[in-house]
Amino acid sequence: MILGRVTQATVFQQLTSSVGRLQRQLARTQEEVSSQKKLLNASDDPAGAAQANRLRGETSTLQALDGGIGFGTAVLGAEDGALDQAGNLLTRAQEIATQQSSGLSTPAARQQASEEVAQIERGMLTLANTQVAGRYVFGGLASGTQPFANLDDPGFDPTTAYSGSTTPFTLPLGAGQTVALTTPGDQVFGSTLTALDHLRTTLASGAPPNASVDELNTAADTLRAERASVGGRVTRLQDRSTQIGRLTDTATGQLSGVEDVDLTTAISQLVQLQTALQATLASGSAVQQSILDYLPTS
Amino acid sequence: MSIFAPLSIARQALLAQQGALQVTGQNIANVNTPGYSRQRADLTVIPPQGSFVGNGVRIAGVEQLVDPFLEARRNASASDLAAATTSRDLLDRVQSAFPVQGASVGTALQEFFAAANGLATSPQDLGARSNLLAKAEALASQLHDTSNELASAQRDGDQQVQQATADANQTLSSIATLNASIRSASVGGDPANDLRDTRRTALNTLAQSLDIHTVEQADGTVNVYASSGVALVVGDQAATLATQAGSPGGALDGGTLNTIGVKDAAGTLIALPGNLGGTLGALVTARDQTLPGLSGDLDTLATTLRDQVNGVQTNAAGRDLDGNVGTALFAGNGARDLNVALSDPRGIAAAVGTDPGDNTNAQALLALGDTQLPALGGATLGDFFGGIQSHAGALARTADDQVTIEQSISQTLDAQRESISGVSLEEEFTDLIRFQRGFQAAARLISVSNSMLDDLLGVIR
Repeated sequence: MILGRVTQATVFQQLTSSVGRLQRQLARTQEEVSSQKKLLNASDDPAGAAQANRLRGETSTLQALDGGIGFGTAVLGAEDGALDQAGNLLTRAQEIATQQSSGLSTPAARQQASEEVAQIERGMLTLANTQVAGRYVFGGLASGTQPFANLDDPGFDPTTAYSGSTTPFTLPLGAGQTVALTTPGDQVFGSTLTALDHLRTTLASGAPPNASVDELNTAADTLRAERASVGGRVTRLQDRSTQIGRLTDTATGQLSGVEDVDLTTAISQLVQLQTALQATLASGSAVQQSILDYLPTS
Repeated sequence: MSIFAPLSIARQALLAQQGALQVTGQNIANVNTPGYSRQRADLTVIPPQGSFVGNGVRIAGVEQLVDPFLEARRNASASDLAAATTSRDLLDRVQSAFPVQGASVGTALQEFFAAANGLATSPQDLGARSNLLAKAEALASQLHDTSNELASAQRDGDQQVQQATADANQTLSSIATLNASIRSASVGGDPANDLRDTRRTALNTLAQSLDIHTVEQADGTVNVYASSGVALVVGDQAATLATQAGSPGGALDGGTLNTIGVKDAAGTLIALPGNLGGTLGALVTARDQTLPGLSGDLDTLATTLRDQVNGVQTNAAGRDLDGNVGTALFAGNGARDLNVALSDPRGIAAAVGTDPGDNTNAQALLALGDTQLPALGGATLGDFFGGIQSHAGALARTADDQVTIEQSISQTLDAQRESISGVSLEEEFTDLIRFQRGFQAAARLISVSNSMLDDLLGVIR
């Protein structure tokens, strides 16, 4: 401002507007320091507001995905446990099949062994009907109903015992990726149950279960393959979870950069403004010099 | 040459210095009066009559130190500053409908899709389904609130239009009255300086309401025109600004908005064309353009959300928990009346088959959150809202920046006015001493003339 003639009013107007401006800036900085946010309104940084909105959206999506992954890990963990036990049961069945195939065994002993195989088969069916949080993990999409019939149900047939879905349940991992959480049970336990059923009926008839040894070996391979697949999927979930953790950290860091105040800067600015305000007010008392001070009062 | 001439000159001088002192006194007294322009006694020589020496001094007039061009610029600046301040205040309120911290349409959208993720994880779980419906309700409610806030800001803007019109009318009639007074004073030779100050202040006040052009007439009156050229004050006649309710449904809240105009002799409203400027112009712009624009964007978001979600929900292959094709989840025609039409959580079509654990359609719903939608110009729902929020923020920011600029201009003009028309006590006290000395000298002239007369009369005696 270039001024020709300065009057008292000019001086006081400038003083008032300077003090007003400093007080507004002080109030704003104080609000920033107390809320620790620099993005208090969209107008503070319009582009930053849109960015904050997106980052918050990303964080929210990632958190939701992480919740799903936690559930998925629990389901796959239960599957892994069930498959582990199924493997042990199958090993016992293989031992029985080998023992009873030998010529040393008697039909009576075989009939006795068929009882143990029946128990193994029941155990296998219980494992195939494993539940996590009320959901059958080997039921495919039909996770709400028991996928396998019971051995003691009338007309039990291992080839038709599975009533679940043939489509696996998939869990969204974000960015269009999914992971299959449940494998339809007939693909996992079908061959095992058929092999066990053959072994049981063969033993019950007193005949040596020679064919069952190979059949059980094939079934064990299927179980092992499924267990490896479950392990692979767990690893994938863990990787994704780690990745989500990292992405969340990045998004949170960026969000903080957009909306959080740098306290050091804000406080030093606060002090600077306070000093400026004090100096302005002090200069106000200095401009009270007037011609009246130099005129005789008479 | 008369021996009484010095006495006569001394008498004129006494009167002139006294008059000048009176003007100085008036200036000192009004040092803090807003709108006061300093005055100056115009001391002039009384020309000689029949001799070579003049006849003393007289006050030819009392003039005001005013720059008429500066006054016109101050009026324009007052219009701009008032417009900027009004916009800023209104837009600041509007942007608070789009909060960056705490709950907003943006967070409600995020929670809705987080709930969709929950549904995709546990499609047979009634809790996850109820949660999705609750989040849909919350989202609809956030959209209502934001839309209502915009409608209510528009309603307030309309009421302020009526208030500002009433205020402007008072100023218009007082300008017309002042015109009449100044004209009659001018006829009698009175410059009516103080009335002119009052009129300048009134014109500046009027300029805050709307942009004006002024033309001073030879008789001392000022004619006032709106920016479109419509006469508001001619001589001692003031036009009456009036507002008239427009067509029903013109407002965001379904009500009517008022048109500003001048009533003609028959009482018919003639609308003022163009941007009025000042507070009225800013209010009308915000009311008729900015707010409907933002509200329209919000409606686009709401209807796109409705169409997309319903599209997934009513997908012919989709099945709800009871194996039926889903029915629409959202109903309504815009942000204002968007509502959740689905009440039974079993009715959410999460599956594409009859298996209750099927989450295929829920995954399609979840994917909507990341889909770039042509209806939103290729933005996702969340980003589109971010865009509206950012736009509202940018409007408020621009308005605030404009206020800062206009304030600075206004302060510069005020300081310029002050440097021309403002009273400086230093100057006035210097003048006080100057005229006091002049008065003392004139008085001494009388005593010298007196002793000269005494000497002369002594000779005669």
